[in-house]
Amino acid sequence: MADKSTDPAALWQTMLGEMEKGFNAFASQAMASPEFSKVMNQAGSAGAGAQRQFGDMMEKYLLSLNLPSRAQMVDIGGRLQSIETQLSEIRALLRQSGGAPDDIEASATAPRPPRTKRPPSPEGTST
Amino acid sequence: MNAPAGLDLVSISERVQSEVQRAIQRSIKGVEYLASSGPALGSTPKDILSSRGTMNLYRYRPIADEIYRVPILIVMATTNRGYILDLVPGQSFIEFLLKRGYDVYMLDWTAPKLEEKRLGLEDYVLDFIPHCVRRVQEDSGEQDLSLIGYCFGGVLSLLYGSIFRDGPMKNLICFTTPIDFRGMTLFQNFSDRRYFDVDRLVDATGNVPPEMILSSFEMLRPASRGISQVQLWDNIWNDEYVKSFRMFDRWATDTLPLAGEYFRAITKDLMWDNKLFTDSMSVGGRKARLADIKVPILHAVAEHDHIVPYEAARHLIAKVGSTDKEEVMLKGGHVSLVAGANAVRRLWPKLDSWLAGRST
Repeated sequence: MADKSTDPAALWQTMLGEMEKGFNAFASQAMASPEFSKVMNQAGSAGAGAQRQFGDMMEKYLLSLNLPSRAQMVDIGGRLQSIETQLSEIRALLRQSGGAPDDIEASATAPRPPRTKRPPSPEGTST
Repeated sequence: MNAPAGLDLVSISERVQSEVQRAIQRSIKGVEYLASSGPALGSTPKDILSSRGTMNLYRYRPIADEIYRVPILIVMATTNRGYILDLVPGQSFIEFLLKRGYDVYMLDWTAPKLEEKRLGLEDYVLDFIPHCVRRVQEDSGEQDLSLIGYCFGGVLSLLYGSIFRDGPMKNLICFTTPIDFRGMTLFQNFSDRRYFDVDRLVDATGNVPPEMILSSFEMLRPASRGISQVQLWDNIWNDEYVKSFRMFDRWATDTLPLAGEYFRAITKDLMWDNKLFTDSMSVGGRKARLADIKVPILHAVAEHDHIVPYEAARHLIAKVGSTDKEEVMLKGGHVSLVAGANAVRRLWPKLDSWLAGRST
């Protein structure tokens, strides 16, 4: 086998690793400055404002086309999730009351193991 | 003609052959990669015990014939999904715990809906966690439980433990949990109060979008995403590498939005005023002092954690009031501490040896 100093694949991996470390270190230094924070937050704040305005505009546009907006779709998704949640809770209650229907997996209703386990002894054998 | 000294022609020929084979494999596997989905994650059998909006409480089905008396409740970080602790069989922390005889519950999060933007820190600490604790008690029939908090889940667990001083928390385990937010230097700079208008952001967006959370994580190591794609191509012939890459990449990009008021409180109380560290933190009007935590505590930190640097985490053990306390520093980063091949060898056995004797 070629050793690491002459293996091109190993050299390539090392170079990638060093490049990553070097760039990350340089960027971390640059990002630690107050100037960076100022510029980043100005850009972020302008972006958030523009995003909101664009969202409002799109909502009006979709309304004019008689189409649901993303917020309405998300709301429908939320309602579906809420129905699923309630179903899960009904299943859990049924399970607790012993009236679980057959399709609930047997392992879910199986008797639980006893809470008697002791930590392994120092020699490594379980007690 | 002889080869120059130090140059092994047989080795070079083998190397060239192997590289050609890999190049062919890359082309074949590259197409497979694009055409297939990644491994199924989070598939350890579980039942949902309670679900309210962003909050989900799961109970994992026991595997062992006999389990420890004290159940475990894992509190996941609010920015990410809990399946990082349940990747695939053989690399699942949950499966490991179940096999070692623990009764495991997890408080996991889904994306908060728009109407949940008003959820504040007090909802998480004074409502969600206590609710889950009660449900675990009811379900297990045990009064005591051990809490495990990962990253910000650790912060929530610390806040809970310092407010609910009389139990029922029996043990507390924190994985890479920040308490001194001055130590998170880049996050500090990103959220510099002179330039970062958190009120304006929250008022404009409702919930803080996941893209913003993801970008702020990625900015901590801006070259890493690009380099990881190059490395993926380089190793695409290697099925194990690709499987591992897909698991971690999917999880890392599956970031959750944060409820607006919750994010506002974290920014002001923790990032700006560092209240947890300075013992001036309160949640919903209730004082939260780390010194009031008296239960046995283990804090696992990672040597190369770029998200929660050691400076941000190192005072935890000194500040809690427990007498039975331990910090353990392990090799790895923020994620590899808890998941993947390194965690299997390092953190999990350490946790088991610490917790087993305290779970009876």
